[in-house]
Amino acid sequence: MTNTDSTAHDPGGPAIETRGLTKRFGTRAAISAVDLHVPCACAFGFLGPNGAGKTTMIRTLLGLTSASEGSMAILGHPVPAERSAALRSVGAIVEEPRFHPHLTGRENLRIVAAVRGPEVDARIAPALARVGLAERADEKVKRYSLGMRQRLGVARCLIADPKLLILDEPTNGLDPGGIQEFRYMIRALVEEEGRTVFLSSHLLDEVEKICDAAAIVDRGRVVTQGAISELAAGGANAELIVGTGAPEDAIAVLRNTDLVCDCTRSDEGLRVVLAGEPDTAAAVNALLVEAGVPVMRLEPVRHSLEQRFLEITARLDEPALEQEVSA
Amino acid sequence: MSAAIAVRMVGADLLKLRKKLGTVIWSLVLALGPVLIFFIVRAAQHGSNPAEHGPAGGTEGFMDSMRVLAVLFGPLAGIMIGAEAGAGDVASGVFRDLVVTGRSRLALFFTRVPAAIAVTWLVTLAGFALVVAGTFAFASGAETPTVADLANGLAFSLFSTGVICIVAVGFAALTSSRPAALTVLIGWHLVASPILGSIGSLGSSRKLILDQAINHFSPVRLGDHNANVAMGATTATIVVVAWIALFLALGAWRTRTMDA
Repeated sequence: MTNTDSTAHDPGGPAIETRGLTKRFGTRAAISAVDLHVPCACAFGFLGPNGAGKTTMIRTLLGLTSASEGSMAILGHPVPAERSAALRSVGAIVEEPRFHPHLTGRENLRIVAAVRGPEVDARIAPALARVGLAERADEKVKRYSLGMRQRLGVARCLIADPKLLILDEPTNGLDPGGIQEFRYMIRALVEEEGRTVFLSSHLLDEVEKICDAAAIVDRGRVVTQGAISELAAGGANAELIVGTGAPEDAIAVLRNTDLVCDCTRSDEGLRVVLAGEPDTAAAVNALLVEAGVPVMRLEPVRHSLEQRFLEITARLDEPALEQEVSA
Repeated sequence: MSAAIAVRMVGADLLKLRKKLGTVIWSLVLALGPVLIFFIVRAAQHGSNPAEHGPAGGTEGFMDSMRVLAVLFGPLAGIMIGAEAGAGDVASGVFRDLVVTGRSRLALFFTRVPAAIAVTWLVTLAGFALVVAGTFAFASGAETPTVADLANGLAFSLFSTGVICIVAVGFAALTSSRPAALTVLIGWHLVASPILGSIGSLGSSRKLILDQAINHFSPVRLGDHNANVAMGATTATIVVVAWIALFLALGAWRTRTMDA
């Protein structure tokens, strides 16, 4: 049978793709020449400080404001040419979720369901249950806390049965328990249901814990993007902390092997930069033991996204990196 | 967009409006209150001095109370409801969430119109029911309006409030602000329009005033304050259609092009 559905999305293709996307307000570029590639079926963080252009990027993607230059595609549909088809499978929260305060949570979802189509009605009750609002769905939204509104916003996304969720600072206003529930929910949406989540945040910890991949944005430009582990490492060599009772002997051994690039003393022990892959740690251990150096601790150094983020955004002030990013 | 989706969207807009109790209650107050006051005052006058003051009801009372409802205060109710329908989504911040459904912005705009008219007409019907009740209750043996008079009165009330409501939907969408729309439209209806209509030196250009064109169709004998300009039915129809088309076009343009 021939597939005549021209709106079908290649599941292997990107969920979001932009080329040279630019949005100017007057002479100021809120986002500048952004090339973004968001793979399907992953949680993708859009990470940047306040005012970096995250919300403008989301508003441009969703057609809430028009792009000044560049091209973009959502779920394989060029936007704005096929905007309606693209957004049919998208759920989004932009900034703080807003509702008609004089209507109940359920009625607010009915409004959106009416706009989306009759098949959506049946998803209202399950979506409310999923975000934990089933029992309070018939209360007026003006009596909801900010956290409840956030959850209702997620329910409003879910009634679209979206392949792609675009969430702008979604944990704002949630208490620690709510944030943890939210993380579990996002991971379930990705891992169990194969949905793609594009999540903008200025909270590094949140992105590191929820997302598989991320782009770091600052001053309207995407500085770098990739898997979280790659971003955190930033291309640096693997490092080890070695705890030993004979540090001088250990340094002497490690400075005479090709397995190690550098070895210095630190408060935690010896900080060893490996020349090869992280699994060469075992060979380093064997080398030290064979040389009679007692090894009490061998611990890989975890690079944090926060560290990398701060390095990148601080370096943006340097002219060399400015030029590199512009290029 | 299919007709079924359009009907659902109109139903959703209707839900938003009818649950907006402040707007509905104040619209009812505007449509019913002045009519009620009219009958009470006229009945008291008639009771205290029947020789000087005729009955509050009857044909004369019907005509006067119709003027209160269809010309003065019913349109104010239409303005309130139209402004809520035209700017409510933007004011509550929900407009962007409707836009991201992928539904056409024009569809989002135009489905507000029938919903606003429906609520306006329900309010107008309540006001008209009070007019009819007062007309017969306070007739005191005087001549009462015929069925044709009643039908004409009802039709004009619905026409007058419906047209003003549509203009209000378009204007509120254009301004994206309920307070601004209410201020301008109420000021126009109660102050600017009657003043302009009474300035004889403006000549036939006064035919362009919406209230003058609407009042051409009134079965009620309007005083000098409300209708100064004579015009044909064709001219009046063209003026009314032009106002509706202009403000719907402006509202639709703004809804389609604004940053959500």
